[in-house]
Amino acid sequence: MAVNTAATRPHGPGVFPRGKSQARTDRALPYLLLLPAALALGLVSIYPIYAGVHASLTTYLYGRPVAGAGAQNYVDVFHDTTFWQAMGVTAKFVGIAVAAETVLGLGLAMLLVRDMRGIRFIRMSILAPMTVAPVVVGVIWRLMYASQTGFVNPLFTALGLSSPDVLDHQSSAFYGLVAVDVWEWTPLLFLICLAGLQSMPQEPLEAAAVDGAGPVRLFFHHTLPLLLPVLSVGVTLRLIDAIGTFDQIFVLTGGGPGTATQLISIYAYNTAFNFTDYGHGAAMLMALLAFAFLLVMVAVTLMRRASRRTS
Amino acid sequence: MTSSGNSSAQWSRRALLKSAGLGAAATVAAPLLAACSGSTGSGGGAGSKKLVIGSFQDPAMQPFRHMYVKQFQHETGIQVVYEETNYNAWYQAAKSDGLNKTGAYDIYVMDDNWVPEFAAGGIVQNMTKLGFKPNPGILAKGLDQGYWPPKSGPRLSAFKNDTPQLYALVIIDDVNLLYYDKRYFSSPPQTWDEIYAAMKSKAKPPQLYGWSARGVKGNPVVQSYLPFLNSYGANFVNDDWTPGFAGAAGVAALERLLSFLPYMSTSTPEFDTDQETGLMLQGKCMALNDYTGTAVTEIDNPSNSKVVGQINLANTPKQVKHGPAIGTFICGIASGSANTEGAMKFLEWFTSDRIQTQFARQGGNAAVTSAALHDSQAVAKYRWLPAIAQSVEASTPKPRTPDEPKFEDILGTQLNLALLDALQQKGNYGKIAQKWLKAAHDQMAKVLEQNKNIYF
Repeated sequence: MAVNTAATRPHGPGVFPRGKSQARTDRALPYLLLLPAALALGLVSIYPIYAGVHASLTTYLYGRPVAGAGAQNYVDVFHDTTFWQAMGVTAKFVGIAVAAETVLGLGLAMLLVRDMRGIRFIRMSILAPMTVAPVVVGVIWRLMYASQTGFVNPLFTALGLSSPDVLDHQSSAFYGLVAVDVWEWTPLLFLICLAGLQSMPQEPLEAAAVDGAGPVRLFFHHTLPLLLPVLSVGVTLRLIDAIGTFDQIFVLTGGGPGTATQLISIYAYNTAFNFTDYGHGAAMLMALLAFAFLLVMVAVTLMRRASRRTS
Repeated sequence: MTSSGNSSAQWSRRALLKSAGLGAAATVAAPLLAACSGSTGSGGGAGSKKLVIGSFQDPAMQPFRHMYVKQFQHETGIQVVYEETNYNAWYQAAKSDGLNKTGAYDIYVMDDNWVPEFAAGGIVQNMTKLGFKPNPGILAKGLDQGYWPPKSGPRLSAFKNDTPQLYALVIIDDVNLLYYDKRYFSSPPQTWDEIYAAMKSKAKPPQLYGWSARGVKGNPVVQSYLPFLNSYGANFVNDDWTPGFAGAAGVAALERLLSFLPYMSTSTPEFDTDQETGLMLQGKCMALNDYTGTAVTEIDNPSNSKVVGQINLANTPKQVKHGPAIGTFICGIASGSANTEGAMKFLEWFTSDRIQTQFARQGGNAAVTSAALHDSQAVAKYRWLPAIAQSVEASTPKPRTPDEPKFEDILGTQLNLALLDALQQKGNYGKIAQKWLKAAHDQMAKVLEQNKNIYF
């Protein structure tokens, strides 16, 4: 079927009598089509960000804005040791969780890309955790981790191991939360990788196999490079989402024991809503936004470089 | 493919990645940021005859919701709409409603530690100015929670010389009580030493624990510590706002609590009220401190308790004095209330001697008047009522400042770490107490210094 595109469409005087108005329509159409989305984005993203920036530049007293703060809220936040501690916990959490999810998601996708008996059911089952609301995930895992009533301790005991008392120790609570995040979000990367693998051209892989490439070489030199653009989108989405993780942690540990699981989202929430310090809370979230942006840029750049190198 | 086509494909991929990154980042941060800026609530004003009461969800509010709202409506003809939501959501909603004077609510049911912020911020109305006269039979310590600036203790500098005015009225006197299993104590233990001696000789963890406590960071573990702290004669904050828990008395109080750890569950740092009281309700714990709700709804409820009739209640033990912490359910009249008169009428009605006696008699609820808590008919059925009265009278309020949740968070984080440290070291309790209380002291001192214009 022939399709008229801008490059191939015949043009010039006499070809189309309404050429000028057609050109105007062509120019305006993309903007018109974008308008609803731009309006929606303006309402749900741009305005809140503007309001957040404004709050971060304001001093509040007892919940009321009393004066402009200039950059003082940011100065205070950058001198706050708890803020940096929370940033450190956030970076560690995001790094470990997203790396584990990527490896597991990719591994599962490689394993389940082939057609076999019951494959649809298996794939659907793997996706199930992703469909549960994060706050419900938090409640479920809190019940499972609870030392007195949960099943994690008895499970370890039955296996001849000592009870981990997950929520009673700083490191086990942290890795317990990472495990919850991995459990919930590995399916997303599995889904993205699976879609990437299924739409991948098979010719280069078949050619490499004919040339004698083994499975490891085939994976690292052919499959992974071809998958990188798709994988980078998945990892980027997960990075951003993981930075803002809140619900599960709020329900499971509230940031404890101590400050072991206090991500910046939890600390900013407490600052803004429990301590009624909207200005500092908003400044923290702006810093978090900058951190997220930076992280995404780094991730995208690295992946693009890797993609270029391998191609 | 042409070169321009190639660059277009590259641009698309980059644009896609950038757009996905930016869009998702914005989407993640936007709701939190917007919420930080404060919201403008909306809602129609209540009609002059309609009374709208908003509250947070709590089992203690059940009789209020199911019986008294309807009874008031029946007796006065004033239509009452009662709405409730979870604690955090209600705190934000009430604050937003009051700041914006939307008139969506007439009465806010609050936690007592909201009073400083709500009164100082004009979120609730000055009831003294409205001419409200509280029932003189209301227990003084409970009633005092509704005054701003506070009648005793340190004050914010802006309110140093102001005369205390009533901004909120107590409706349920929630206070720390000592719960003890009478199989292990023939009479109410009077001191922490007495309890320690009993657990040393009788407790056999994990079959029988000597003590149970909330250990989760923040408010829960602070609530476990306060009766010890107060009873040792120390203060959360001193009269000059300096932290009062890191001195000798505060350290000794924490050392005493930590000395109970060998006879407590090793999972205490993850315990909140349900786990703490669960041990006692299973008959696996000799004693604990908790607020009144467990007495009213749990200990004699056969579907929840294996020790029906076995648990007695008393004032929390003393060292130099009894020191239960008080935490009342308290009502304020919304700044934008469309039915202030109806709101005052309701509060006057609910705290009257007649209704309070009914409140105590029907379910053993934590009434706010002395007469109701000592009513012979009520006491015969609900043995904890006199202990509530005694504990309210002996109670110590928490710091009266909008920053109290922040102070609690600081102290509660370090107390949680002290528990972890003590469980790991299995000794050195004095040094552990000193180390973590000093850390909390230093953090709190920094907050006070940052806000010195508010405090000094």
